[in-house]
Amino acid sequence: MKHVLYLAWRYLAHHRVKTTILVIAIMLIVFLPVGLRVLVKQSERELTTRAMATPLIVGAKGSPLELVLNSLYFESESPPYLNHGEVTRVTDSGLATAIPLHTRFRVRQHPIVGTSLDYFAFRGLAVAAGRQLAVLGDCVVGAEVAADLDIGPGDFVVSSPESVFDLAGVYPLKMPVVGVLAHSHTPDDRAVFVDLKTAWVIAGLGHGHLDMSTPEAAPGVLRREGSKVIANASVMQYNEITAENIDDFHFHGDTSNFPVTAIIVVPHDEKASALLQGRYLGEAEQVQIARPAEVMDDLLQTILTVQTYVVTAVIVVGLATLATATLVFLLSLRLRRREIVTMVKIGGAMGRVTAVLAAEILGVLVIGVLLAGILTALTAAYGSTIIRALILS
Amino acid sequence: MVGKTPVRSGSLEIAESTGLGLRSALAGALIGSLLSVMLSPLTGCNGEGQKQAAIGSAARGTLTVAVVNYPLQYFAERIGGDQVRVYFPAPADEDPAFWIPTADEVAAYQAADLILLNGATYAKWVPKASLPSSKLVNTSAGFSDWYLQMDDAVTHSHGPGGEHAHTGTAFTTWLDFTQAVAQAQAVRDAFVRQRPDHAEVFRANFVALETDLSALDRQLNEFTNLSDSAAAQDGPTLVASHPVYQYLARRYGLDLQAVMWEPDTVPDLSQWNALDQLLASHPARWMIWEGEPLSASTAQLAERDIGSLVFDPCGNRPASGDFLSVMRQNIVNLRVAFD
Repeated sequence: MKHVLYLAWRYLAHHRVKTTILVIAIMLIVFLPVGLRVLVKQSERELTTRAMATPLIVGAKGSPLELVLNSLYFESESPPYLNHGEVTRVTDSGLATAIPLHTRFRVRQHPIVGTSLDYFAFRGLAVAAGRQLAVLGDCVVGAEVAADLDIGPGDFVVSSPESVFDLAGVYPLKMPVVGVLAHSHTPDDRAVFVDLKTAWVIAGLGHGHLDMSTPEAAPGVLRREGSKVIANASVMQYNEITAENIDDFHFHGDTSNFPVTAIIVVPHDEKASALLQGRYLGEAEQVQIARPAEVMDDLLQTILTVQTYVVTAVIVVGLATLATATLVFLLSLRLRRREIVTMVKIGGAMGRVTAVLAAEILGVLVIGVLLAGILTALTAAYGSTIIRALILS
Repeated sequence: MVGKTPVRSGSLEIAESTGLGLRSALAGALIGSLLSVMLSPLTGCNGEGQKQAAIGSAARGTLTVAVVNYPLQYFAERIGGDQVRVYFPAPADEDPAFWIPTADEVAAYQAADLILLNGATYAKWVPKASLPSSKLVNTSAGFSDWYLQMDDAVTHSHGPGGEHAHTGTAFTTWLDFTQAVAQAQAVRDAFVRQRPDHAEVFRANFVALETDLSALDRQLNEFTNLSDSAAAQDGPTLVASHPVYQYLARRYGLDLQAVMWEPDTVPDLSQWNALDQLLASHPARWMIWEGEPLSASTAQLAERDIGSLVFDPCGNRPASGDFLSVMRQNIVNLRVAFD
């Protein structure tokens, strides 16, 4: 048997080009439908698990898919803002807990999620190192962010400016990393979490500067009119919130008009959920309430329909490829007739010769299937990344 | 950058998260079991589905309540009785309105079942701290339309943000005892929501507290300008050593203006001058102090024919007694100015 395998191996090694083409053909025939199936299954799980765990999302009127994708995965384009007063509206209804989200900003490629501490309890996120958010300016990072940026408690991150050419735009805020979250194997691992108020500071709705009524601020004062101080443009605004300057930070305007990108709504029970959804059905309503599970189901239906078409096409192509491969093997046998006769004449038993030929064919099949298996495993391993790149971003 | 975080390799984590581990899939491929790959149910768990939504799950047992001042501690203890444990970490010698908790103390607030806020911009640290909004109870929200704006606000403007002021509203809301009742009511309602099983106890305890607070309100009304008595129609002109009596003055019709003095500090010359300027338009005969003033201060006031009396707002724990006894003593002290 050992000799049979050796002869088959030598034949395949000698005809490298033919063997490679056949192996690739077999590999693709196997991998395409299986890999696609793995990817679709992963998409299904990736998209539904988190959606199922999120009862309702309130957002500005617009695309529910965009709202849900951004609120669950923080990846897609930021949806239109709604007022923070909507958070109070949900809370005051007494029907649910409202968890605000503000997802406009980033630290490099990682989203900054401005929210309340209720989010961590809701998602079951635990701090693995350091501590939880305590004061304005603090941030806790997901496990992948910590690994990717090589940071931990005691380090700092800086919010990315939205545009380097927008001089009057959002200024970067330097934020201390006070904690690193334990791996949750969810998009939360890739996010930088701050208090909602810190997100508003990044947005420029709150800022810190010297108390304009103190003598130290005199150089920045243009004029005083009674209890009114007019400052000039030289007033330095802090780009970092520290224990020394936190008292100088303040917000302008009514916080109920401040922006949030979405509100995760956790109804107390099914009845409360139904009542709450009913309150957002009016035509004059400026906000929408979405059920993430339903929105994701719709998206999955689309994906599954596409999958059916693709698999059908792949099977047809696969059958054609298989037929071609079979033809290649048969033609190869015909071309090798003299070689086979020679092997018999020099004393090779017919059974042995047949075994060598079968081993050659089996070798090609096994190598093709092995490679398909490896590709499938890689697809499974990096499925989350592929899904994020293809669907969520 | 310091403080490396103990995390494992990203690729392996992702593989585990998918339920089809890279290593196991490779092993499967090596034995040529394509079928097993195709049929392997992708039932791995990423933990998301198993997480319980902690929001709204009212745990049973003693209710842990964190408060921002002593009046709320007193109300919570009176209403909650044995069913609550109150956390109020501000040191006794600090004004809780301006005290700033440490990160550990903020963490303790975060861990409480309920966080009772005074509202009206009391506890300046609250807007700059991260607290779970589902646990916050603004006890004065019911009368927020009645907040008094501080009239000594310094406004300023710079840049595109426009004009704005850094001061807020008057915050010693409980010195109007009808407002104190409303705050206690908010505490009761929050307790009932958290522990409906003990609703009857909370309601009964609240009624007792309401009776006490209403009695204080009545006692003050007996001699202040809200009273029908003829003697009270022409009440004394008063000056407060600190601007903390706005709600007291509004409710009980006190003719009151404030300076910015501290009981444990003798005012400097500029402060005396400011008082003299105020007295020219507001001829006060009594000064109300938050605490026992220094004799040097009272002596100089006496030279201006101004008496001193203490009306302790009781924002922090009293050295002796409790909220009720301090307020009763306050009323006795204030009455002297009306005799």
